[in-house]
Amino acid sequence: MVAEDRINMDIYKVVTRAIAASENLEDMATQLTQLLVGALGIKGSTIFVLNPATEELEALASFGLSISYMNKGPVLVKKSLDHQLIGEAIVIRDVTKTDRLQYPEDAQKEGVNAIVSLPISLHGKLIGVLRLYHYEQWDVSERDLDSLMILSENIGLALMYTRLLQALKSIKETVDEVHPIWLD
Amino acid sequence: MDTPKILLPYNFTSYDKKALDFVCRTFSDKKGAEVTLFNAYTPAPTIEMRGSPIMEQMKNNLSYLSQRVKEQEDALHVVKNHLLGKGFSEDNIDILFDPKNRDVAGDIIDLAQAGRFNVVVLNRKPGKIARFFAGSVSSKVVAASKNTTVCIVS
Repeated sequence: MVAEDRINMDIYKVVTRAIAASENLEDMATQLTQLLVGALGIKGSTIFVLNPATEELEALASFGLSISYMNKGPVLVKKSLDHQLIGEAIVIRDVTKTDRLQYPEDAQKEGVNAIVSLPISLHGKLIGVLRLYHYEQWDVSERDLDSLMILSENIGLALMYTRLLQALKSIKETVDEVHPIWLD
Repeated sequence: MDTPKILLPYNFTSYDKKALDFVCRTFSDKKGAEVTLFNAYTPAPTIEMRGSPIMEQMKNNLSYLSQRVKEQEDALHVVKNHLLGKGFSEDNIDILFDPKNRDVAGDIIDLAQAGRFNVVVLNRKPGKIARFFAGSVSSKVVAASKNTTVCIVS
């Protein structure tokens, strides 16, 4: 059976405009997860950032998932849908038929039946993961996967842009604290 | 010290629970201590797409956003019950559950500066990578606070 395309140009426009329109990273990430859930008619979505020190995926924003599922425990990058190939999405069309999940029982209890995991990378390094959760089995079309991969690349750029903005703001705050007397 | 009027931002993580425990340990025996639990949620985005049915479709699919909001509000009431069990009086516990105005740090600063609170209790997960990208809420609140005691539970 040929998988149905869910992402059309209108959806893509809305989602990419949300990335460009937000001034702050938390809002951008949260609204992106909301839009993906709304546009694709899926159960939930989460944007994780990778903590290289702990190898933990930290949730930056999430929508559609319960508080208890979000607090199920640390999500470790090597144990939870390990993205060994940076440029490839992982599609779990049926969570009952995989051994790649770190918390398979929690996923089933949450009502998650399929997961699509997309690497967020920059300069060839994994810096995060975009994950989509569906309440039914999900055959994702090749075209939708391509669109989602491009989206995750854009999220990577947005993450680095906001990081640079944070650095710039910190420098400005430090300079602002210099008393004018030192500059006379 | 004046009667503690505590603002406790709460986002349902294990570190929020630590901050809650700190408030219970430190302030539950202070006569008249008031606690306000605060959670700011991100409202659904509105994006102009003339002549496209896509936003309508999204609104339909996002109709359960209100259910999720309700779930969070209910969870705040569970936290309130915890405070009641630790000795705070019903009249002295308040819940603020609002859509975000600015960002989390900005909203906390606005509330603190409005003068209703003399203590803000925040939590901070050591080594959290999200701070690297989004900035630190606790640092922003500490930098902007005046005449307010800011406690950071880590």
